[in-house]
Amino acid sequence: MSAVTFVRTRSKAPAYLGSGSRVARRMKTTVGTAALIVAAVYVIAPIYWLIVASSKDIGQLFSTATFLPPAHLSWISNLKSLFTYESGDFRWWLLNSVIYATCTAALATSVSTLAGYGRAKYHFGARRTVFGLVVGSLMVPATALVVPLFLLEHDVHLTNTYEGVILPLMVYPFGVYFMSIFAADAVPDTLIDSCRIDGASELHAFWKVGRPILMPGRVTLFLLSFIGTWNNYFLPLVLLGSETRFPLSVGLSAWSSDLMLAGAGQPLYPEVILGSLISVLPMLILFPFLQKYVARGLTLGAIAGE
Amino acid sequence: MVLSLRSPLTNAYTRLLNYRTVFGEGQYWSGVIRMAYFGAVQVSVMIGLAILVALFLDGPYCRGRRFFALIYFMPFAVPGVIAAIMWGFLLTPDLDSALKVPHYLGLANGPITPLDYRLSLYAIMLIVTWEFTGHNMTLLLTSLTNVPHQVLEAGKVDGCSEFAIATRIKLPLIRRTVIFTIILSIIGSLQLFTEPVILNDIATIGNSFTPNQIIYNTAFSFGNEQLAAAQSVVLAAITILATVVFYGLVQRKMDPFAAGRGVIK
Repeated sequence: MSAVTFVRTRSKAPAYLGSGSRVARRMKTTVGTAALIVAAVYVIAPIYWLIVASSKDIGQLFSTATFLPPAHLSWISNLKSLFTYESGDFRWWLLNSVIYATCTAALATSVSTLAGYGRAKYHFGARRTVFGLVVGSLMVPATALVVPLFLLEHDVHLTNTYEGVILPLMVYPFGVYFMSIFAADAVPDTLIDSCRIDGASELHAFWKVGRPILMPGRVTLFLLSFIGTWNNYFLPLVLLGSETRFPLSVGLSAWSSDLMLAGAGQPLYPEVILGSLISVLPMLILFPFLQKYVARGLTLGAIAGE
Repeated sequence: MVLSLRSPLTNAYTRLLNYRTVFGEGQYWSGVIRMAYFGAVQVSVMIGLAILVALFLDGPYCRGRRFFALIYFMPFAVPGVIAAIMWGFLLTPDLDSALKVPHYLGLANGPITPLDYRLSLYAIMLIVTWEFTGHNMTLLLTSLTNVPHQVLEAGKVDGCSEFAIATRIKLPLIRRTVIFTIILSIIGSLQLFTEPVILNDIATIGNSFTPNQIIYNTAFSFGNEQLAAAQSVVLAAITILATVVFYGLVQRKMDPFAAGRGVIK
């Protein structure tokens, strides 16, 4: 099966499918749609709750109806305290998350594109071995790598730095695998050959011909890597020690671990809730537009083998 | 890898001593067994749901296919930490008045407390199902849209009911994708970390709930990096073993003539 053309969307189920009388069909449609709506409520409820709850102050959180908005909204005061608590650490976390995710995604995309293109278009001896290694490294659980990584970085003083987080995430085995399949399919060998005949160097052929053709795949990879880094928790948790280096995930979890501590002052419920909302909101708003690219990346890995 | 062979005290090589410690550790293995149980229950529920929804969305009785597909995929954009915080609060009776309703109606002795030690495993299943069902459903749905129309028409002409088309034609054709999602989910559940850590902050469910939590504690709370390295290696081995065993089982079951066919090719 062609790997690139598989995203054929069938917007409507064809009319010739479906059996039974008209009434029976309508019944099935209604029951099925009702079930889908129930499932959709399960998916949306927590996100809806997050939006509603972020408008409540701490008293309202514990006294008003869970899924109903409060009588007076406290967004402004919650925002103020979110951005000023502990000398405004939250601002750092927001900025750090953006830095980590953007840098990692940009670098991972470049590295994967070069490696994948190289693997797909040049028939060197270790070609199969390289591919085997890449696929094999997809199987290794990330946890098994984190402890050794910490020790390595500790020795070269990379822990608690931006590079320390970005460098390991820059090597993105799934990206290499993805690009390798994508490039093998999207860039015809004949095209590169004609570049060579016209006297272009290999790098020039890649830059002027290969790279633009691979653009859609690069967008997909950038998004996947961005989301993955933004959502990553275990790696930054292990590698980072000081609070001004934390990304949002680690920072918010640090606050939420203070919730249960007795005598830690006013519990931070409103701040944690609003902070969580802020860290998911951009992605949720952009998601309808990005869904196509993200889904393509995920599915290529799953069905390329068929 | 090399580190796992060294002694925690002197950092000298101790052959397989750390591994002997790992194999004798009750807590570690109860974590592994807990995750095996977790994986068996949660992965079947999640993949079952994903298959059901994907088949329905692909069928003729569905309205608003694109809309629902988008909604179900959304949790993919929500970080595990945030998902755990949201659900953690929603499962705390003080914060969620809905959990007190059965009590008011006289159906229970008190508010429901899903984050009790006893129930917390199921609470985590609920959260993980929320996070990843849509992701798996998306993979299956894309795979389903690739089933050629001709095959479905042939089934229709032969008098298959819609249910038969879904179960006898579509499902076998996407079985590779199903296997792929199951393998991804097995790997994911053995590595569970974020959700129990966050829930433990909110409701004290224990800090040695999963093997990954134990590895983290060994390395960073007790400073025994050598033992943690050994624990990591064992966990990686278990993960790969589980994957290979599962793959072997389904290959044999689904494709009894696989070997013969290979020869013909």
